Amino acid sequence: MEYQPQQVKPTNPDDPALSVSDLTFSYPDKDDVLRRLSLEVRPGERVGLIGPNGAGKTTLFLLVCGVLKPDAGEIRLFEQPVAPGKFRPDIGMVFQNPDDQLFCPSVRDDVAFGPANMGLPRAEVEARVREALSTAGALELADRPPHHLSGGEKRMVSIAGVLAMRPRLVVYDEPSASLDIHSRRRLIRFLQASQETILIASHDLELILEVCDRVVLIDEGRIVAKGDPTEIMDDVELMEAHGLERPHSLAPHVEPHHERPRVARHF
Amino acid sequence: MKLGLDEYGHLDSLLHQWEPKYKLVGLMGLILAFSFVQDPRLLPAMLAITLALYALSRLPLSFLIARLRYPGFFLLMVAILLPFLSGSTVLLRIGPLAVRQEGCLDLLLVASKFVSILTLSLILFGTAPFLDIIKAMRSLGLPFVLADMTLLTYRYIYEIGDDLERMQTAMGLRGFQARYLGGRVLRVLASLAGSVLVRSYERSERVYKAMVLRGYGQPTRPSAEPRSRFGDLAWLFAFLLLAAGFIAAEIVLRQGQG
Amino acid sequence: MHIPDGILPAAVCFGGYATTGAITWYSLRKINQKDDPREGIPKASLLTAAFFVASWIHIPIPPSSVHLVLNGLLGVVLGYYAFPAILIGLFFQAVMFQHGGLTTLGVNATMMGMPALLAYYLFRLRTVLGRKGNRLGDRKGRPYQALTGAFGFLAGAGGLGIAALIAVALLITTIPTYLDVEAERASIYALTLAHVPLMVIEGTFTALVVLFLQRVSPELLGD
Repeated sequence: MEYQPQQVKPTNPDDPALSVSDLTFSYPDKDDVLRRLSLEVRPGERVGLIGPNGAGKTTLFLLVCGVLKPDAGEIRLFEQPVAPGKFRPDIGMVFQNPDDQLFCPSVRDDVAFGPANMGLPRAEVEARVREALSTAGALELADRPPHHLSGGEKRMVSIAGVLAMRPRLVVYDEPSASLDIHSRRRLIRFLQASQETILIASHDLELILEVCDRVVLIDEGRIVAKGDPTEIMDDVELMEAHGLERPHSLAPHVEPHHERPRVARHF
Repeated sequence: MKLGLDEYGHLDSLLHQWEPKYKLVGLMGLILAFSFVQDPRLLPAMLAITLALYALSRLPLSFLIARLRYPGFFLLMVAILLPFLSGSTVLLRIGPLAVRQEGCLDLLLVASKFVSILTLSLILFGTAPFLDIIKAMRSLGLPFVLADMTLLTYRYIYEIGDDLERMQTAMGLRGFQARYLGGRVLRVLASLAGSVLVRSYERSERVYKAMVLRGYGQPTRPSAEPRSRFGDLAWLFAFLLLAAGFIAAEIVLRQGQG
Repeated sequence: MHIPDGILPAAVCFGGYATTGAITWYSLRKINQKDDPREGIPKASLLTAAFFVASWIHIPIPPSSVHLVLNGLLGVVLGYYAFPAILIGLFFQAVMFQHGGLTTLGVNATMMGMPALLAYYLFRLRTVLGRKGNRLGDRKGRPYQALTGAFGFLAGAGGLGIAALIAVALLITTIPTYLDVEAERASIYALTLAHVPLMVIEGTFTALVVLFLQRVSPELLGD
């Protein structure tokens, strides 16, 4: 299907960036992955999605991007309904495993993939590649094959590949998984500085605390709680009821609690 | 795991500078012409040109030897039979075996062609990044299914190779040793192969989603043709002329004999 | 059993390119007839890479070991993508390992690819036979294990056997020997028969992998 550049509508700051209403979805081998889920994200917001494995976070992302088709409900991206299967470069998704997303034999080609498919002229594509790589701090990796990159480098290159399309909303699926400390810190700083509307699904609760304005707790396909990150994640009962834990940084550091439990060891 | 020939692709020689598209056509033309040679009188010329080109490419000799060693060995294992099987003029007898003249010439022919063709292909693929060669093939008309498959396969061979290695290490650490040919060994190895296939399949579904999300399937603009310099075309012409020369010489010599 | 450069006469090489070109054209046509030919490309590509890697697994045959060809299995799993996959796999082998050859790429591709396609058709038979209402499958329309295993064996053994037959026949008929026609024929049979143990191993291995796939990920078999 041919990509037609959409008429650029001036972004009305009152329009939600993303609005999901009564979204319902089942996989052929798993029912009710999402049940009548409704969510609204305002432009410029940074929303963190937390919840146990299997809660439906990745599925929600795939539906929002138009890769999957909902069984019921509506999804609107910047007030335009999301049509499954239609290419919409105003939304980008960063996958959990960068290897799944870096499918070209060179970094430069991979980052150029999105803009090339948008039908942009060659010079523009090259400019975008440079811009995206330098925003992600990966310009020196441009001519390397993805296989030779470290985990952190792959992560930043995969982000560059999405940024090159200049999306207005970016969705991150477990972005800090298997990153070393330095790369993770770099990622956090990058996310804190980014201009787009962001949705992050992560088990890395400390990252969410540092980056997000709002948190949404999802379990069994439903939104269980939403609100201020600190308020929600400090609610120990709530977190533990849904397979999570209170992040360590929120634990009151009054009583000593760093003792490791003593277990009898026999050699 | 060295899977490419690119190790010396960054050197600077006349052959390195030749635009991949024309280099592909020129060298393949010469390779095909060499495969046409049957007359032993052309062998010295063939080998001389091959060695001259290799020298011109500035690729190290160690590279050539390393790459020719094993395939050459195996070829020799098979071709060594030729002097005993092929032809009717007996040169000398070793017990019940007869060494035949035609067979000896055949052996020489096979060995020379093998060395020449392989050397030329090492030059072709060793003097440019592998990726550029695939792009050159694409611009020469390779169908998109084949081009896309080639690029994706190339990209993921390393990852999947790593997967296999990791799984084999894990198996070894739990005591598995493939030392004999038996039911259990085959079953375990079959599960290993099956696991590699299933993991790759599952990954491919994610890769497809990632590709679609960035617009795979949209009609794209054809990438700009590299400006062909006079040198590129001149070399191509020279090579094709050389190839034609060999073919013509072969035909003439054959007619002379017939 | 890839045929290296330098042995075959140019005419045979060109013939090989012609047949490979024709079968590739046919395969691409079949692929392009699907609703979305691009959808199958990542799957076929990654599986091509997986097969390439899987063929590195050493099967011990004391005192040494062999690598399997797995063209039958490839046909079963990839269907019409099998021939392009084999062509690409052979190309990489020739370029990266100097295994096989560039002039003989056409010949090798036809030699290994055609049996792969035949293995695919053969395995489709198993799927048809195993469907609902037939005694060879269960009520839900899944073919029984025994049937799957048997056809897997045939696909694997046949894939290797036919390829070996073609390779041997080509080599013997193109190398000028002092053997007469009968002796040539006899030696073709003899050399092909020598491959029977390998055919058994390849068939068994294919059957085992196919049964693994049936249990773990039946979509790969088209179930």
